[in-house]
Amino acid sequence: MRIITHTCTECGTVVSANELEGNRVMKCPGLDCANVLRFADLPQEDRQFFLEHAEQYEL
Amino acid sequence: MKGVLLSGGTGSRLRPITHTGPKQLVPVANKPVLEYAIEDLKDAGVTEIGVILGHKGREEIQELLGDGSDYGVEITYIVQGNPLGLAHAAGCARDFVGDDDFVMYLGDNILKQGIAELVESFERGDYGAGIALQEVDNPQQFGIADVDDDGTVTQLIEKPDEPPTNLALIGIYVFSNEVFDVIERLEPSWRGELEITDAIQTLLEDGHDIDSHVVRGWWKDTGKPEDILEANRLVLEDDHLERNGRVAPDATVDGRVDLHETATIEDGAVVRGPVSISENTVIESGTYVGPYTSIGPDSTLKGVHIENSVVIGDTTIRTNGKIVDSLLGRGANVGRADDELPEGRRLVVGENSQLKL
Ligand SMILES: [Zn+2]
Repeated sequence: MRIITHTCTECGTVVSANELEGNRVMKCPGLDCANVLRFADLPQEDRQFFLEHAEQYEL
Repeated sequence: MKGVLLSGGTGSRLRPITHTGPKQLVPVANKPVLEYAIEDLKDAGVTEIGVILGHKGREEIQELLGDGSDYGVEITYIVQGNPLGLAHAAGCARDFVGDDDFVMYLGDNILKQGIAELVESFERGDYGAGIALQEVDNPQQFGIADVDDDGTVTQLIEKPDEPPTNLALIGIYVFSNEVFDVIERLEPSWRGELEITDAIQTLLEDGHDIDSHVVRGWWKDTGKPEDILEANRLVLEDDHLERNGRVAPDATVDGRVDLHETATIEDGAVVRGPVSISENTVIESGTYVGPYTSIGPDSTLKGVHIENSVVIGDTTIRTNGKIVDSLLGRGANVGRADDELPEGRRLVVGENSQLKL
């Protein structure tokens, strides 16, 4: 299973695509990091793959 | 070699303790379980550690570990979100690990002998993975490995009816970088998770040698209250304990007692080690603290007889009763009902609490 992640450019915290997609727009979960992370920050191809296989990333 | 430390999970078997925090922060001998893993990684020469966070306890874990500098390591946080399995957690660490190999350590595990031998054994050969094993009495309830004379794994079987060995996989693994391509090829199991045993099995089928190392000292998965008590007992048995606090002249203190410099044992109290007493805690007159007990910070004990127990902290116990084999969450208070009418116990008990009266 392909695992897609995104790394916060401010603090280096890594966030999985399921977390980003679940929130769409979220404050970076890194403590004391004010950066805003978006599902849309992922490359187009990753987003498309994730959405086409979304059921794999749910419980 | 990098480290990947798993700190997700709901901790459901440790409720109500885990209603307010992640299971990896429950203290054993007054130190959060997760800190033992960080120390083991560092002792094995692994100082770049990715900490995997689930849904629960993200902030508390980051507050405790920070950037790792207090422990002499560098920490990167990796948010897995949905608990999609151990192999998914490993896969989330791919960018962090880069081209390196890595140790994967389940953050609620605690073991006596550390992981240096496992890591050295893996590094001596050309292995796809290395697994830590321990002999167990009930192999039907574990993932079991069959190994040849050199310790190279020949087969992995999940909860076998007829186990070929009693060597169970415990929650510590070493992986070569090849595992990431294997994880991409895995499909979720019947329970919807990417299974780490499937990843190891696939490495094996691809022709990689899998190393194993039998862990000889004790090992505990601290998922349940009785496991916390046992881990506490095992750590107190082994640890070097220092008596730095104040012991009043008419207090009785025997055996090994770890007494924080700000803790006090007052006149008329009896403490028999091994015991750990944390900061700003006072053991008052008439109290007995018996072997294998850890009392957390900012607590006061008066009159109670307590042994083989863990009191997490911010607690006041004022009863003449006897408390044994117990785990008390933060801020839990125990008073006395002797003078109250009608006669009877008075309880305010949280969801999922367990009491034996
Ligand atoms: Zn950030």
